[in-house]
Amino acid sequence: MDVNLCVGCGACTEKCPGKFDDGYNADLKQRTAIYVEYPQAVPLKYAINPDVCLKLTKDKCGICEEVCPAKAIDYTQKEERITLNAGSIIFSPGFKPFDPSRFDNYQYANFPNVVTSMEFERILSATGPTMGHVTTFPKLPLNPKKKQDKLLAEKRKDPKKIAWFQCVGSRDINKCDNAYCSSVCCMYAIKEAMIAKEHAGGNLDCSIFFMDMRTPGKEFEKYYENAKKKHGIKFIRSRVHSVTENSETHDLNIRYVDEKGQIINDTFDMIVLSVGLEITQETKEFAQKLGIELTPSGFCKTSSFEPVTSSRDGIYVSGVFNKPKDIPESVLDASAAASAAGDALSAARNTLTKAVEKIPEINVVGDRPKIGVFICDCGSNIKGVVDCAGVTEYAKTLPYVEFADEAMYACSQDAQNKMVEYIKEKNLNRIVVAACTPKTHEPLFQETLTNAGLNKYLFEMTNIRNHNSWVHKSNPEIATQKAKDLVRMAVAKAALAEPLKEEKINVNDTVMVIGGGLAGMTSAKSLALQGYKTHLIEKKDKLGGEAHKLYKTSQGEDVQTHLNELIKEIESNANITVHCNTTLENVDGFVGNFKSTLKTDTTSFALEYGVAVLATGAKALVPTEYEYGNDDRIITSLDLDKMFKENDAKLDQLNSAVFIQCVGSRQPDRPYCSRVCCTHSVDNAIELKKRKPGIDVFILYRDIRTYGERELLYKKARELGVIFIRYDREQKPEVVLDKGKLLVKLNDHVLNQPVEIEADLLTLATALVPRKDEKLANFFKVPLNDEGFFVEKHAKLGPAEFATSGVFVCGSGHYPKPVNEAITQGRAAASRALTLLAKKDNLFTSGTIANVDSMKCSQCGVCVAICPYSAPRFATEGRFAGKAEINAVLCKGCGLCVASCRSGALHLRGFDTHQIFSQIFALGEAV
Amino acid sequence: MNNKLTGSVVVIGGGISGMLSALDLANSGYYVYLVEKGPSIGGVMAQLDKTFPTNDCAM
Amino acid sequence: MNDKDIKIVSFLCNWCSYGAADLAGVSRMEYPADIRVIRIPCSGRMSPKFVLSAFREGADAVWVSG
Repeated sequence: MDVNLCVGCGACTEKCPGKFDDGYNADLKQRTAIYVEYPQAVPLKYAINPDVCLKLTKDKCGICEEVCPAKAIDYTQKEERITLNAGSIIFSPGFKPFDPSRFDNYQYANFPNVVTSMEFERILSATGPTMGHVTTFPKLPLNPKKKQDKLLAEKRKDPKKIAWFQCVGSRDINKCDNAYCSSVCCMYAIKEAMIAKEHAGGNLDCSIFFMDMRTPGKEFEKYYENAKKKHGIKFIRSRVHSVTENSETHDLNIRYVDEKGQIINDTFDMIVLSVGLEITQETKEFAQKLGIELTPSGFCKTSSFEPVTSSRDGIYVSGVFNKPKDIPESVLDASAAASAAGDALSAARNTLTKAVEKIPEINVVGDRPKIGVFICDCGSNIKGVVDCAGVTEYAKTLPYVEFADEAMYACSQDAQNKMVEYIKEKNLNRIVVAACTPKTHEPLFQETLTNAGLNKYLFEMTNIRNHNSWVHKSNPEIATQKAKDLVRMAVAKAALAEPLKEEKINVNDTVMVIGGGLAGMTSAKSLALQGYKTHLIEKKDKLGGEAHKLYKTSQGEDVQTHLNELIKEIESNANITVHCNTTLENVDGFVGNFKSTLKTDTTSFALEYGVAVLATGAKALVPTEYEYGNDDRIITSLDLDKMFKENDAKLDQLNSAVFIQCVGSRQPDRPYCSRVCCTHSVDNAIELKKRKPGIDVFILYRDIRTYGERELLYKKARELGVIFIRYDREQKPEVVLDKGKLLVKLNDHVLNQPVEIEADLLTLATALVPRKDEKLANFFKVPLNDEGFFVEKHAKLGPAEFATSGVFVCGSGHYPKPVNEAITQGRAAASRALTLLAKKDNLFTSGTIANVDSMKCSQCGVCVAICPYSAPRFATEGRFAGKAEINAVLCKGCGLCVASCRSGALHLRGFDTHQIFSQIFALGEAV
Repeated sequence: MNNKLTGSVVVIGGGISGMLSALDLANSGYYVYLVEKGPSIGGVMAQLDKTFPTNDCAM
Repeated sequence: MNDKDIKIVSFLCNWCSYGAADLAGVSRMEYPADIRVIRIPCSGRMSPKFVLSAFREGADAVWVSG
């Protein structure tokens, strides 16, 4: 295939006789030998699988060459070797879902209704083999041709009962060698169960069989609680031994032991195996070629203090290859690896990059509107409810509409390319897209307009998904009518759209980092290395934050040594100014131009800066339960770390130590998991056992959440004889101080009877609580969640930045995290900030801001008084001196001044009065 | 040594992590080669239906 | 008034209520389809003229949220 010629039309696939498994659909379907990964693939270029292509294997066929209109097919292409010169390498090869066919007990290879979670993911997807319909026998084609398949397909039904089996290929060294926890399966199983119930209706019975429910991420615990309480998903703590099949119905029978030790038989229509993440042999071999060290589980070996740096200089790693992780952590890894790779090459920055070519803008002022309307199906998300074809036909009848088209995914690259073509071909000068929400997708479509030479403000988006198909799904007719109304309103407004100009913003390239803990220091160090003057603000008298209280990382590295080295590096870096004992008094300005007053005990001073990083951290809860404070044998995890650090002699006299987990976490007033405490206690338990092998150590827990390779610590602790006893939140352990004795009482689930432990030391694994700094949040206009953690721009794709431009976040102020993750996020925040600082000369204001018709201005001053951003002011010179004028950089485009102007002199570009009226009038025109 | 530094980075793997590394580097002033074995980028995330905990569309 | 013909014009602030309406969709909440949303950049953009105009165009209710 010549990718430069291929237009992605797909004519080649229509008659291609070669077939092979469609990996994108988890092999549930077949695809042709000439193929594209999926309809939204980037780049949208077809490829030939040489193993199944008849032309390449047997020199027969050749149909695709005949039908290709672009003459892109070239059977003579050979493998080429290309040499690249680069300063650094980032290796992010990813993972493969575990293949359970090697397990005989679940009979994945033989029972049609045992599927993997990846297959189920495709079954749930609108673009999948069943188009989102949950059905049994998913591996059969929807319209089977073979006789045997037809017989099976007749037994196909909508499942009533589905079970998920957790830890398939994870936390298992009996049937496979994967001792680690894959970190994502608990959450995705809950998600799949929720979505399955949504697709199949509320009566679908979903059960998740698990060992420990691991939901230690941001907002995960609430998701789990909702799954139980709101969605009625059953959670059963048991590892199912094996599955048998009713050969007639293909229903699946299982037998398991519940927590009370009773044997239970149950039958399910489908079983989903929650397969783990695995590094492929191919990746391991490639890593060997690169000369980078791996852990025994096959992941890349990295230190907690340089968490994205491989053992070989110049090679950085990110994603699941750098320990099992979910999407936001992979995204943080990505930015952190970019930051680490960039830091090493900072001297050569901007030496090889080129400026983007600007497409000249077509002047449409004064032209009659020629509107193009694009209706998005969003797979089945919109089309499943709304008659999109009908809406498209309707759009064609509206005034000024020149052209209307329907797209399966309007946001996909192919649809975008088509849009550019249509704009050029039909001379469209206004575009309306009816799809999802402009809050996420408007910038994408605006870029498409720019690429077609149209001013990006000649665009209007209307939301027929979030505000329509998703919320009126049981009423398709009314939803279709509403979609038509919304399109009519958008078209009316678009007809009045004018091209708008964006003003250049000057960026002050000084950086302010608030919080001198590990995350903040890491951010400051990276930005200083890239050549930016950085001010590091710390409230306390020294740098280092909570890390001063830690003994070792989960990988056994000494925290203090590394911490002190980092502090020294910060203090000796000429680009970094450290301000200890300093607090922030106010924040004025906006991205690129912030100004603050900072205060110390003795003085206050002003600081001007372009970007801010908030790294304010979290602190350990002071417990109010379990007799804490009434006996000096009852301590917190950090107190125990202090004893280890000081090599306290009392440690050697202990005969029995107890840890209680979830002290203050995962309860109604603090409904989140503190993420670090399980690993911390397990690690400290091992340390106690190492110091004195004869000691009895008990960990009282609710779920052990040693995610990723931390699971190996849990395994090691059990091997060393640490005793783990589970308790429920409703039946917490009880601590009794009786005649000098420290007693811990609880009900043991396995024995189903009360247990009493006499302890010499009781360690409470306390929650990490955020500082909940509402003042700081208000200063920068960034949100806090209910618990007081900062809310990032996007839970998946924007984990180190805020929706407010120029403000970034890292460390435990975002969510509790261990040393390596805090450092990763610190680097990620630096990388994100760097992309903004690098735009110093081409950062622009929004076009949708207020402007003044000076002739009409009566100089009343209401706008000057009312604006919260001080954007309007009286002009001091020129023809209109004394009249109001707007500072384009300060204007946020809220329209407060426009609504309050008594003379009608103020206009809001993009949301002008006549545009809003046009929408209201369009609504009045009943169809 | 510094005058021999090359201002470009090779990113191996076009999944969500590789793509975003590439974007950050390109936007910070480095030339990036994004290398992917398959015919398109996107990785496993493109195969997912929704993402937790917001149930947003993964595509 | 016939329950089936209610028409509510809503003016939603882009930064909060419009986002909340998006979230209602993400959460798949179902609500009656009588509402038509006009996105405004801030509830500060709202003018009494818009409310009066909506009523003149036959709205049964106007909802401003921000």
